[in-house]
Amino acid sequence: MAGGGGGQAGDPEFQIAPMIDVLLVLLIFFMSITTAQVLKVDQNIVLPVAEHGSKKDNTRAEAVINVRWEVAKKKAFYTYDEKPYMDTDMPKLSAALAAAKKVSERIAAKGKNPDFRVVIRGDREGTARSVSRVMNAAAEAGISDISFSTANKE
Amino acid sequence: MKCFDPNANADGHLGFQIAPMIDVVFVIMLFFMVMAGAVKVEKELNQKLPGTVETSKSVEFTDEILINISENGEVLLNEEPMDPIGQHRMKRLTASLMRLKQGGDSAKTPVLVTIISEPDAQYSRVVDTLDALALAEITNVTFTLNAEEE
Repeated sequence: MAGGGGGQAGDPEFQIAPMIDVLLVLLIFFMSITTAQVLKVDQNIVLPVAEHGSKKDNTRAEAVINVRWEVAKKKAFYTYDEKPYMDTDMPKLSAALAAAKKVSERIAAKGKNPDFRVVIRGDREGTARSVSRVMNAAAEAGISDISFSTANKE
Repeated sequence: MKCFDPNANADGHLGFQIAPMIDVVFVIMLFFMVMAGAVKVEKELNQKLPGTVETSKSVEFTDEILINISENGEVLLNEEPMDPIGQHRMKRLTASLMRLKQGGDSAKTPVLVTIISEPDAQYSRVVDTLDALALAEITNVTFTLNAEEE
């Protein structure tokens, strides 16, 4: 029995159109998984490795705080919402988090984002003190749900 | 004067060349395939801050497990030294925590773990400990510093 796509002589013919379809689908797949992940990673922060961390939950409202560690100065620099904060600016950071939580609660009243959380993206070279400062700021803002960002591999 | 065009048909119309397009698509696809392998995926370790337990429920008093992290990276579980300094995967700590979790599960009591870290201990060591706790499936974890903030 002759298969589909056979020529007049009965030989199977190379079909270019389905091959292009498959190629384009594969291309779109690989493009989406690479670009979506690469864009989120801040190059200045080297995240600590934790293989057993859970998959990032992107459905919830969150405040991402970057804790960059300067090895030369032995100092932590914090950024939230693209605004820089220093060690002494924690009350300001706390106020900003409280404001963000209020906005989230207002949206939650419309049936979205039930829990607001803080995600700490700390540099692996940083100290526990620098991360603890952010946790204190979150506690003062009334946020008890904290997540630590980690990388799945070196 | 009419120029020679290799893409033109006999009637002068430009033809669509499929072969170079497939070449380009192949190259782009190979690039993204290689990139996809090198992509780092961000994961997360969750915890709740202490002092936020609902007080309307009766509080069950359970044995609290203390994990101390010193400045040089030494980890102590209830004052007992665990894995050597610099070892990223803490097998001994994980095994001990798994035993405690199994004991807690069989006694139907929740396992509470408090990580007490020196202020200048490395953050990566704290994450190593949290990773071991995640592997042991212990979710009731709090993290504090053993000295008050200045």
